Amino acid sequence: MSTPANNTPQSQTSVQGVGTTSTPLPAPARTQKDGGIGNTAVGTFGVKSGLAQMLKGGVIMDVVNAEQARIAEEAGACAVMALERVPADIRHHGGVARMSDPEMIKSIMDAVTIPVMAKIRIGHFVEAQILQQIGIDYIDESEVLTPADEENHVNKHSFKVPFVCGARNLGEALRRISEGAAFIRTKGEAGTGNVVEAVRHQRSVMSEIRKAGVMSEEELYAYAKEIQAPFHLLKETARLKRLPVVNFAAGGIATPADAALMMQLGCDGVFVGSGIFLSGDPAKRARAIVQAVTHYNNPKVLADVSEGLGEAMVGLTIDKDLKGGRMAGRGN
Amino acid sequence: MNELIENGPKSMVIGILALQGAFAEHQVMLQKLGLQVEICVNLVRSVQDLQTCDALVIPGGESTTIALLAKLSGLLDPLREFLRTKPVWGSCAGAILMSRNVTNAKKGGQDLLGGLSVTTTRNGWGSQIESFEVPLVVQSLSQPDRPFQGVFIRAPVVFSVDLTPEDPPLQIIARVPVQLLPDAQHLVLQNQNLADPLNPRTIVAFRQGNHLFTSFHPELTKDDRFHTYFVQECVIPSLVTGRSSLIR
Repeated sequence: MSTPANNTPQSQTSVQGVGTTSTPLPAPARTQKDGGIGNTAVGTFGVKSGLAQMLKGGVIMDVVNAEQARIAEEAGACAVMALERVPADIRHHGGVARMSDPEMIKSIMDAVTIPVMAKIRIGHFVEAQILQQIGIDYIDESEVLTPADEENHVNKHSFKVPFVCGARNLGEALRRISEGAAFIRTKGEAGTGNVVEAVRHQRSVMSEIRKAGVMSEEELYAYAKEIQAPFHLLKETARLKRLPVVNFAAGGIATPADAALMMQLGCDGVFVGSGIFLSGDPAKRARAIVQAVTHYNNPKVLADVSEGLGEAMVGLTIDKDLKGGRMAGRGN
Repeated sequence: MNELIENGPKSMVIGILALQGAFAEHQVMLQKLGLQVEICVNLVRSVQDLQTCDALVIPGGESTTIALLAKLSGLLDPLREFLRTKPVWGSCAGAILMSRNVTNAKKGGQDLLGGLSVTTTRNGWGSQIESFEVPLVVQSLSQPDRPFQGVFIRAPVVFSVDLTPEDPPLQIIARVPVQLLPDAQHLVLQNQNLADPLNPRTIVAFRQGNHLFTSFHPELTKDDRFHTYFVQECVIPSLVTGRSSLIR
């Protein structure tokens, strides 16, 4: 683990008893005990990025209450994102969008056994401390909420709970990873039901990785400067020929075909926000998208699961008149 | 064992259940093993894919998601049949699916494949902030003096061992120290001696017949000794005898 910053909640919070449901007793001490086999470590980058690896090939669904969370779990979601309003409603209502009520998040954590994620505003490290305290499994430092800090993101290294962040291109993705993000997603344009921005972001990331993959070390130094990325992470990305952490699609995915498209463009899995519970038959659409992500290269399955899903969410054109504005530009 | 390799199979097909989760990590590990036997790795998403396999790895992921996708692909019964005859290794979610029973299942219960005589508790250690890494002492691996880094992510706990007289014995491969056990109420038995080093809750890896159970993730490390163990100790013997030696 890296050096904790001043705002670290770790110094005050022990690893004890922040369990989700029926764990009222404090867990036995197993923080960094030295010597012998008790040499245990929690909150390592390995377990943070490891959970994201376990989510691969899966669908993470936005839910606003326990009932929706249960529908998502039954439909095969590999995790849920607990929030008070889906992005399309955030666009519609306007105003400042903040972290959800912890009570509402806890009711969702009690309802399901799969990992539960929740969103904080960009740079709002106290919202992150609160979510870590209630035992959330993953935090999304998200441009969908109104940013709390226009300059700085949260120092994610100083938390035990892992973070996912949005990115529009390789430089942005590597900056987030250098701040401690263990999981990257495209920003897309949330709440529009329009996949065009997610495609743009994923294509940017992939083409920049391919470009870096054939560069000499000298060229990588210059390229790191150009895309404002830390050199060591760029070098590692060029060697791996992929991002060093898991990369999901997010922002505007509404159909099984959208989900499979993002998978064929090289994503490891998919977030679906407004697309499921603002559609005609959420349970059926959710299950279809889950199958589409597994069988993304099998047009026969894709054709089967795309049939008779009822109405998809209403899509929005992304132009200067977009209600709620462009969210993808928030945080850089 | 060397003799087995020399006289045994020249090649084998190991399937990896690729419905959801960290199947690619297992694939990379198996393809890099560099043993004398040639290993073809087959990603399994359908019944036809499964039919070609000599052995199977069920990776980590979300057990509820994997079970639902297996059901929708008509794979549940073929997988159960596979478990009766061929070697299977489950890591984390895969280990949950191979358990006979689970506690802390999703509401309304969840489909399992069975095959191993244990009851496991999902997310036994709690939420993600309780996930941890610990070096494990594993005598059965090559270079037993070198600890194996156990990566436990929302890991299951072996709740109890439920051997019936017909079941093959359990061979314990690795345990965690008792003091690492979660103190969650539902995991503490009445009158249970927590200091008992043979407490079933401390089991994190075992073998039963030709099946392998790990509640942690060897595929997330750079250490391929568990993959080598599975190939040499579970898969090759089953190919040599021509059929699974589940009952020995």
